[in-house]
Amino acid sequence: MSSLTCAKLTLFSIAGVVIQIIGLSLFVYGFFPVKPALSGISGTESFRVPRCNSVHNESEGDLPPDQLKALYEELSGIHPFDRLILMVIDGLPAEFVLGKDHQPPPKALMKAMPYTQSLLANGVAIGYHAKAAPPTVTMPRLKAMVSGAIGGFLDVAFNFNTQALLDDNLLGQFFSVGWKMVMLGDETWLKLFPRLFMRHDGVSSFFVKDTVQVDHNVSRHLGDELSRDDWHLLILHYLGLDHVGHIGGRNSILMAPKLLEMDELVKMIHTSIIANQDNGQGRTLLAVVSDHGMTDNGNHGGSSYDETDSLALFIGLKNHASEHASYTVNTVYQVDIAPTLALIFGVPIPKNNVGVLISGTFDSFTDEQHLKALELNSWQLFRLLQAQLPGLSCENSPCESFIDDQGPRKSKCNGNLENMICCLYLNAAVLHSSWKSKNVSRSYSRADYSSIVAAYYEFLKTASEWLSRRVTDKPVNLLAFGVAAMLLSCLILSCLIFHVCKEFCFRQKKNFDLVDGMCNWNLDEAFILGVILIVIISMGSSSMVEEEQYIWHFLTSTLDLLLLRKTMQLLPVKKSFRLYEGTKKIGFQVYSIFVLIISGRTLRGWHQGGVNWTHLSDVSKWLEQAGSNNVKLVQLVSCLLIISLCFFTLSVLGSRRKFVLVVGFSFLVFGLLVLQHIMIYQENTIVQSSSTATLMVQIIFAVLGITAIGTFIVLPLVMPISISKKHSSHDSYMSTSDPIEIQNKYPLAELKDSLYVIGWTYICYWCLLQLLLQQPVNAVPILLILVQILASMIYSSYSGLHQKQWVEIAALYYLGMAGHFALGNSNTLATIDVAGAFIGMSSYSTLLSGILMFIITYASPILFLISMVMYISVKDTTHLLISQSADSGYLLKIMLALPCLVPLGVNSILLTAYTIVLLLMRNHLFVWSVFSPKYLYVCATTVCVYIGVSSVALTVIYSYLVLAFRKRMQCSSNTDAR
Amino acid sequence: MKANATTSSVKSSAEPKPEPEPEAEISPSSPSISALEALSVHLISGLGLGLALLLANNVYSVNLVSHPSLTLLLISVIECPIVILLYSRHRKNREECSYLKAVGRGLLGLPVGALVISLGAIALGAPVGTRYFLTTINWSLLMSLFTIVPAVSVFGSSWKDWQRIFAHTNCRPIGSLDFMICLPAHGAIIGAWLGAWPMPLDWERPWQEWPICVSYGAMAGYLVALVVSFSLILVWARFEHVKRD
Repeated sequence: MSSLTCAKLTLFSIAGVVIQIIGLSLFVYGFFPVKPALSGISGTESFRVPRCNSVHNESEGDLPPDQLKALYEELSGIHPFDRLILMVIDGLPAEFVLGKDHQPPPKALMKAMPYTQSLLANGVAIGYHAKAAPPTVTMPRLKAMVSGAIGGFLDVAFNFNTQALLDDNLLGQFFSVGWKMVMLGDETWLKLFPRLFMRHDGVSSFFVKDTVQVDHNVSRHLGDELSRDDWHLLILHYLGLDHVGHIGGRNSILMAPKLLEMDELVKMIHTSIIANQDNGQGRTLLAVVSDHGMTDNGNHGGSSYDETDSLALFIGLKNHASEHASYTVNTVYQVDIAPTLALIFGVPIPKNNVGVLISGTFDSFTDEQHLKALELNSWQLFRLLQAQLPGLSCENSPCESFIDDQGPRKSKCNGNLENMICCLYLNAAVLHSSWKSKNVSRSYSRADYSSIVAAYYEFLKTASEWLSRRVTDKPVNLLAFGVAAMLLSCLILSCLIFHVCKEFCFRQKKNFDLVDGMCNWNLDEAFILGVILIVIISMGSSSMVEEEQYIWHFLTSTLDLLLLRKTMQLLPVKKSFRLYEGTKKIGFQVYSIFVLIISGRTLRGWHQGGVNWTHLSDVSKWLEQAGSNNVKLVQLVSCLLIISLCFFTLSVLGSRRKFVLVVGFSFLVFGLLVLQHIMIYQENTIVQSSSTATLMVQIIFAVLGITAIGTFIVLPLVMPISISKKHSSHDSYMSTSDPIEIQNKYPLAELKDSLYVIGWTYICYWCLLQLLLQQPVNAVPILLILVQILASMIYSSYSGLHQKQWVEIAALYYLGMAGHFALGNSNTLATIDVAGAFIGMSSYSTLLSGILMFIITYASPILFLISMVMYISVKDTTHLLISQSADSGYLLKIMLALPCLVPLGVNSILLTAYTIVLLLMRNHLFVWSVFSPKYLYVCATTVCVYIGVSSVALTVIYSYLVLAFRKRMQCSSNTDAR
Repeated sequence: MKANATTSSVKSSAEPKPEPEPEAEISPSSPSISALEALSVHLISGLGLGLALLLANNVYSVNLVSHPSLTLLLISVIECPIVILLYSRHRKNREECSYLKAVGRGLLGLPVGALVISLGAIALGAPVGTRYFLTTINWSLLMSLFTIVPAVSVFGSSWKDWQRIFAHTNCRPIGSLDFMICLPAHGAIIGAWLGAWPMPLDWERPWQEWPICVSYGAMAGYLVALVVSFSLILVWARFEHVKRD
């Protein structure tokens, strides 16, 4: 049997990991849309022709608002509207108002909105189906409406710390021209624009069951605000309709009354607008929009027609009633609202807008103004295109060579993208300029005008489509290459694991003549592989992804029961089984499995995670209802228990040894510090900003870091080295029966002792750190997870030959995943504990709080991974030793190969499988709301496995090298002395 | 007992055949069962279950979805005499154990088995609480009838036999009696285990409640296993016959 040397094994594993990292980053880069972004805010330059190398260092930003406004008006030549009322009806499908497929909406809905329908019928209002981009949830949609840009998914996901919209947007532009703004309704607006509003009254969308009060709270100020004239922009955001949908779906009996209520509001606002206009308060536009639609069940978030079908309704653009009212399908994009409003109100179009001026909205302006607006829109999009397409830049582009005197012409546009865009743009520009010259002589015809408009729209539509596709399109090559790389690394790692297992098995067979079928498959081993399969299959269903915690709890407890069955197989001491003396070992195994089962069940009941069943009762809710004092009591008790467990396990090594005393003392110091922090400061969990508390936490972090690294470095240096005929008399249950020559040549016993202490130090410190960072209710789960680790260590130290190493390591990994969900995590980004990420922070730092957030979220997987250090020390692998072939490389391989490879392998299989699932699901309804967040979690788990495995490998290799060096020194000095 | 949750007969057959055990050791005193007897046992327990479901539905007009607890109790009450009386006839060690004693230990095994099963179910995540207490008890009575009670009636407290049937120590269950007990029991447990999978999904069906789909799974698994066990017994009898020739 050929065996891989240690160096080769390491090399292959590292190669596998590197390939995986490359593949993963390629995939992430290709799959998640990255927003094309121009930095900065549009200013006066947006009223000029886009040129290359245009240096605009004018200081128009310093102009006072009213002068800026005048300047904009002068530059654009459009006399804008004066006031805007933006009425957002959350979740209103455009179908309710405009009908579908050229059909008017059903009679019941028509009756529910009589006023709006009459406005539509006589042409005062113009309605559009505004197609929203997924994810169809409120905040990204509002951003799209005001900035005209399609946000990337990562942009949504990584906005934990600041939700404020910092990109160029309509409200910012309005603010810069001195508008006064009022916001009534959903407080999302306040999160997006924290300081822009003169007056505001935010309502929360938290109480979904409430459909009445939430809208009443908005409308109560409406009459007052309408009679005032100190604002320019009034935002009304009504949440009630969305809540109605969430409760009863589209056809809820509450829907018609709610629509009627909205219609009454439209009537009230419109009447007041007309009255004010007669009073000469300027032109007011009422824009009724919805952020997204809803499915039949009233849900939203995905990309089906029902969800993306949102409304854009403009009332007041023209006052004259026209006869032709038809239910034509005017489909636009939601992003088109931003440039339209910007142009109507005479502010620069936001820089990253990909929308197009909605046709029909400029009918009440003059032809000249309409063309100007289209020109401005084209200039803005052309600038954005220039940033995206280097080929459009100045040198080799014909765009700059502007007009020749051939007069208006219309050339066929084809060729590559750059040429086509250039050509379309030029067509429109040339036509427009010739029109301008004709305009002076008043000799233009209506046909000229409409051909220019058509030319502009041809360019605008092409540019806008290309730009938005660039956000949502996926580069196929990149994705394919990434997936292939991940598959390759998955294959490499699996082959390595298989190879190592086979080799160990072979070795074992040679050393012991076991007919026991050690190399055969057992039920639990098959189940370990079955778990991977089940998890992969379950990844394909969005409900299962949402409720993943059930899978892990169910599978780990089944695994526990299977292990129990396996132990039961051995229970009676049969005559043929001489190898395992006594039932004591089996007894310990059975007890530890019972501990695993009980603590696992308690962990399962602690948090009712997931998405659909969060309302069910669980222990944490019950505790929180019992009051903060009880929570604190429980927290203190579990803290004390953790500290005493730490001491107890350490003392197994024998408390007389000096280093044990030192390590124990450091536990005590650290434990007391944490305890004190919990006692004093965690009372007010919300306000943690008091400087002493922060200082205290910082001290704890420092002590933790120093002692952990100190233990890791110093312990192998001070570990007493013994050279004797008998091996060192360390704890009773490590039945090291190593051949004495190996024992004396290599520091096996010493290594095991030192790894035991270091590993336990890691585990304890991690637990104590988690006590500090996690929410108070999570103290008991931390304790239970520690107990689980201890129980599995006891199990594996007694299982000996009966249980294969890879099974136990994979089981530890699974327990880690179950623990992850037991701490209240889920596959939605909402469960991440953001508050904890600021403990001990004196100033804001994205990196540090990101690290803390990672530590809190991945508490359990990392804990189980670093417990591998202790696992290596307690698992009896001496049966793999053959005195002749033993060398350092082989010893390290025995100890380290599987504990490092198995987590990497399992994780790579899960990662690769989920990547493929995500790729297959890219058009699924829930790709942004369910699958993509889960993918972020999977990626983070991968990072966590890398960290855990590398720290385990580092610890073991360092300790081994130091101890081997010291042993050799001591040996040579001993022989010298003799 | 739940430990055997996923023991699958398919897998066992995929493994290499163990060393042939001396047949004398397996069934020294256990009565050999003819195919006809086996058929009657299987048929009666299967039909009993069907009858119980029918009775519950038509006479008492309850079913698992509407009244899970009551229905389970009803099925258990009907199945209990059938299973105990049937299996006690095939008890091992006929010399030492009278029919009545076998029935008695079957009756004793029912609550003990139910306790073990309900603990196993709770370990796997069955809800705890007063609301579910009665349902869980009734469900585990039924499961106990499927799994433990036949074994208790036949083998009593012989640890060796128990291990052979449920943990497969040293050798696999061999012989018609072993098949008759082992396969339906495992079938019921695997069925119940599989039946638990739809529970967390958001389909909002009434049968996703705690013991309903698990009971359906268990009963389906039990019935399938009865068929498999009977056909295995037939194959086994042919095999024995050929060997004897």
